[in-house]
Amino acid sequence: MDFSFTKKEEQFRQELRTWLEANLPDGWLQGEVQLDKESKEYELFLRDWQKKLYEGGWAAIAWPKQYGGRNATLMEEIVYQQEMVRVKAPPLINYVGLHMVAPTLMQIGTEEQKEKYIEKIITGEEVWCQGYSEPNAGSDVAAIQTTAVKDGDRWIINGQKVWTSFGHVADRCFLITRTSRLEKKHKGITVFLLDMHQPGVETRPIVSMDGQKDFNEVYLNDAIAYDAEIIGQVDEGWKVIIALLMHERTGIGGQVFTLEQQFNDLVALAKELNDEDEPLIKNPFIRKTMVDLYTRSRGSLLNYYRNLTKQLKNGHPGAESSMDKLLVSELTKELFAQAISMQGHHGVLWKENALMDRSYWQDNYLYSFGQTIGGGTSEIQKNTIAERILGLPKDMGR
Amino acid sequence: MDFSLNQEQEMFRNYVRKYLDDVGQTKVAREFTEGNTSSFQALYAGLAELGCASVNVSEENGGMGLGQLDLVPILEETGRALLPGLYLETNALAVPLLERFGTEEQKAKYLSAIASGEHTFTVAWLEPSGNYKPSNVKLSGTLQDDVLTLNGVKSLVPDVELANSLLVLVRTSEGQGAEGISLVIVDCDDVSLQVQPQKNMDETRLLAEVTFNNVQVSSQQILGTIDHGWDVLQEGLLSFNAALCSSIVGSMEKIVETAVEYANIREQFNQPIGRFQAIKHRLVDMKMDLETARSLAYYANWAIESDAADKVEAVSSARLFATEAFIKVASQSIQIHGGIGFTEEIDCHLYVKRARFYENYLGSTQQYYEQAAVALGW
Repeated sequence: MDFSFTKKEEQFRQELRTWLEANLPDGWLQGEVQLDKESKEYELFLRDWQKKLYEGGWAAIAWPKQYGGRNATLMEEIVYQQEMVRVKAPPLINYVGLHMVAPTLMQIGTEEQKEKYIEKIITGEEVWCQGYSEPNAGSDVAAIQTTAVKDGDRWIINGQKVWTSFGHVADRCFLITRTSRLEKKHKGITVFLLDMHQPGVETRPIVSMDGQKDFNEVYLNDAIAYDAEIIGQVDEGWKVIIALLMHERTGIGGQVFTLEQQFNDLVALAKELNDEDEPLIKNPFIRKTMVDLYTRSRGSLLNYYRNLTKQLKNGHPGAESSMDKLLVSELTKELFAQAISMQGHHGVLWKENALMDRSYWQDNYLYSFGQTIGGGTSEIQKNTIAERILGLPKDMGR
Repeated sequence: MDFSLNQEQEMFRNYVRKYLDDVGQTKVAREFTEGNTSSFQALYAGLAELGCASVNVSEENGGMGLGQLDLVPILEETGRALLPGLYLETNALAVPLLERFGTEEQKAKYLSAIASGEHTFTVAWLEPSGNYKPSNVKLSGTLQDDVLTLNGVKSLVPDVELANSLLVLVRTSEGQGAEGISLVIVDCDDVSLQVQPQKNMDETRLLAEVTFNNVQVSSQQILGTIDHGWDVLQEGLLSFNAALCSSIVGSMEKIVETAVEYANIREQFNQPIGRFQAIKHRLVDMKMDLETARSLAYYANWAIESDAADKVEAVSSARLFATEAFIKVASQSIQIHGGIGFTEEIDCHLYVKRARFYENYLGSTQQYYEQAAVALGW
């Protein structure tokens, strides 16, 4: 057992730290940067941050050097995530492009597609979204109804997508459509690299319970895509979908480290809040709950390290990432619920009236409900674990 | 980064697993519950032959000189089989204490005998009306010349009938707190103890009330400094609890395997019950608890072996999580097995009973919550 980082990894950490110190937006670490999340200004701020990361060589470290990455090792990715969490770096506006679309293009895209899209993804010139979910196809991805019908060298696309994160700012969409009705519903799916800037594409924001408009409904009315914008083969899109999902691996690590940092914030909150002149952390009931949360978050970090070790040895990620995702998202929900409880009735005060930390706890509490739904619901993760790790039979209906 | 047991440790696990498979896994524990303790003795000798008893004893005392992490595979495997006896108390409590605090004479006397599998230790701590607080250590030890005279009663002493020595918490000076308590080694062959067996829900372990009536031992039998035995024991409990967690992990692993296997073959409504999400998701929750317990236990044992700065919170949090998870997982398994799970016919109930045995064994869950909070500086 060895929990240390190599000298090379520590050098890498130092290099990144130095870069972050010089390049984080002014006042970011001090919490002075306050932007309205729905403003154009915020979008430009995030696009600017993406460009800065690219120029510094920190936009997509896991990518091969030829595409502007660093060929980073898995351990370097871990260091990267730890450091980004440590400085609470601004979110990546092109997360979908960087972590999912581009790696999938590198794997199965045509030379022309690689040429056309990859560079624009890393520079942030083109922001991507993911057109998966539909009103009647969430966890059951293959139940999609959006159709693409061939018309010469064009395809006419009709349907509706939902929960499309970044849809309102995206330039392109990794869109899954139905192109044939075959006996097996996994067959007959085709994936398009859709241009979002066209008359047939309309996005409408959805207000989520935390008051944000992060995701959207996307309406496709005779939207147009061309043969050259198909990734993989016509009707064989399921393979592309699976390939893309396999590239989601790095997300989990980030969540584990964020949870660790959020837990430390929670401890600070429990020390700051008072109950009859004594910090709440001294209250026996709070202590028990906090130790319980500590134990389980620590456990989830250690589980992650153990799965990481396995991955380092096997060279590929396994279904264990479902265990990490399930645990971390469920714990995150509990953690913020505890933060609201601890504030007493003040816990209901929101936005500018929130008692402390500018609504950080309240906003995150509300946001946390999405975390056990997005990226595969907890129930789907449990099915995956049951079937792929425990070897139980598939659900009825599948 | 390498958060796993090494190849040698995994290889050793295979030897132990194979040996326990050959003797029928829980068969020996079942025989033990029926009063047959002789088959267990043979099994213990076999394990000692494999080297299990000598793993963490230093080389100069006849052992292999390996560390706490090398106990982990053995403990997981013996936990799977619900091994009766005093392996944990001997190798995970007495050995680390003797290695660290024992005099040369004590080391020579006990360690090589432990390494050869001929000597075991148990712990005499609780008293009839008491809890795990130091104020409840009332058994008195009066020192005159070089002789310590012990008077009092210890309760819930595990497997004293199988033990060669007892680690006894003795009050050697007036006071209520931790000061004035000594840890004394009492050899069963040298003294006369009154032993009154106590019925125990976990029939794979024997419990007894032990009366010390003017029992005389040499002052050379004190482990560590006189009047400072409480601190010595606390140190030993860190190793013990880390090890206990690994034993629990082994039991939980076996439970999850068995429950999954059953859910795959048992059919209702023309389907294996494992196809129903109500069962499936319950099994996943069990698996999650198992893997979290395993990670926490690995880390706790690593923290002991490497004397890490966070070893107290690592051990106490692992211990409280593992004991609670063990009860939960063992109970769920009965529910999954349905009617048959409620009978004595299959092993399910044995694990629930063992889980309850460990829940408050040598310290309560509440105490470990508090110990973790203090270690975290709260």
